[in-house]
Amino acid sequence: MESTHTKIRTTSIHKAFYENGAHLSALAGVDFHASDREFVSIIGPSGCGKSTLLNIIAGLDQPDAGSVELYGATTAQRLGSVGYMQQKDLLMPWRSVLDNCILGLEIQGVPRGEARTRARALLAPFGLEGFEGYLPHALSGGMRQRAAFLRTVLLDHDVVLLDEPFGALDALTRSHMQSWLLGLREDLKKTIVLVTHDVDEAVLLSDRVYVLTASPGTVRTVAEVKLPKPRSMEMVGDSAFVKLKLELLSALGSLGSRVR
Amino acid sequence: MKGPTGMNDVERAPGPYAAPRVGAGIRTSLVRWAPVAVIAIAAVGIWEAVVALEDIPNWKLPAPSAIADALWGDRGDLARHTWVTLKEVLIGFGIALGAGLLLATLIHMSRTMERVIYPPAIASQTLPIIVIAPLLLAWVGYGLQHKVVVVALISFFPILVNTVDGLRSTDGDLLNLMRALGANRWQMFIKAQVPHGLPYMFSGIKIAVTASVIGAVVGEWVGSSEGLGYLALRSKSQFLTERVYAAIFLLGVMGVVLFLAAGLAQRVLVPWHGRQRGGPNT
Repeated sequence: MESTHTKIRTTSIHKAFYENGAHLSALAGVDFHASDREFVSIIGPSGCGKSTLLNIIAGLDQPDAGSVELYGATTAQRLGSVGYMQQKDLLMPWRSVLDNCILGLEIQGVPRGEARTRARALLAPFGLEGFEGYLPHALSGGMRQRAAFLRTVLLDHDVVLLDEPFGALDALTRSHMQSWLLGLREDLKKTIVLVTHDVDEAVLLSDRVYVLTASPGTVRTVAEVKLPKPRSMEMVGDSAFVKLKLELLSALGSLGSRVR
Repeated sequence: MKGPTGMNDVERAPGPYAAPRVGAGIRTSLVRWAPVAVIAIAAVGIWEAVVALEDIPNWKLPAPSAIADALWGDRGDLARHTWVTLKEVLIGFGIALGAGLLLATLIHMSRTMERVIYPPAIASQTLPIIVIAPLLLAWVGYGLQHKVVVVALISFFPILVNTVDGLRSTDGDLLNLMRALGANRWQMFIKAQVPHGLPYMFSGIKIAVTASVIGAVVGEWVGSSEGLGYLALRSKSQFLTERVYAAIFLLGVMGVVLFLAAGLAQRVLVPWHGRQRGGPNT
């Protein structure tokens, strides 16, 4: 199902890397798209080129072949036009939480005072109220990740790319973060692409889930998540949820062997 | 993967980013330094006793009391010479700091500049300063500027090397993130690489301030008529051994004070350093 408001579209993306003289194909013909306000997850085995795909969409890398369309335009200069967040929070240890959050706005040339005002308005929904003056070292892992996420969405980009944002957190904190993001996703009004290893996380949060094959990465299947919205953590027990999860696990080739 | 500390954070109340309590600070300092003071006093006492009991002649090893006498008796002279050496050290170090940071920035910015600057910079450090210092006399003369140049020459190098390493070791993922946010090279330099490099720069500065004192003494030995190094040399030839020791003592104090000042500046300017453990992937 393709909306008329396609925010991202990649067509037949190929990307290879040369390492120690060896030719490593990371992506071999990936078609991907995400519509306005759609939440799309990408799952796949380690080394399937998920992060490479995000890097290409963000403009950090260019494809060897194929095209990337962002906001309806095909351009090589995509840097600075999407929000981008990695597994590492990458908060600057010398900046307070608030000043870390405004980094993107600062780079865009927004005056600090105004940027801080805009960031303050989001502190409460991000669970950071009262901590804006702290240095990152004093924060817990979950709070640091939320600060990094605030930094990402504070930019008014319609597209936000999340590369395993909860991957570094322990299981309990991760499930807190998932349920928090679940509550937030409608309010954000953004197109979100989430790369994850966690099938539960993908199904719970997404409208559609891409399953990539191992290296070189190609699209094995795309599944639509037809669970009702708003979603809640309790749905992980629903039969529809379990059925889809099993389908995705089998597409990943995880069934019958040991699951990661 | 979990963070190294295994934080299971359900809104864990974080440690405040606040100044430590002052009263408690004084008490812990007393506890910490009391043993040091006891050992120092004991060492000086043993030294005094050995010199007295073994009847060691003054020109061989003066007693601490004799050195203290020299320090007090010649205080006017010693203060004048200390001031001369301190001036050489501070001016020379200032030049070294400016040159070190400028060259480090150039090296960081351009591979070509790296190839131009690094080889002669390294070569300047492999030649013993005691060999170069007399040659410099012919170029810059006998005055203060000669000592300043020797100090700068010996102390710019640790600042340069450490600062370059600091600028270079910024997390590549952070730079990529900034690039994805649309940052240009200058913004990445100013907002990420410079603050990241500051603690490294201070490591260089700490080495450089102590090397500065050595540089000043070497410069004075080669050609000077004032300063603690010159005074030590002259006093030795006059068999005023206790004054040699007094000058050495003052040079040591100067080095320690400068080192502590650098550490204080670091704590003020880089308050986050040493506090970044505990996050994931650090």
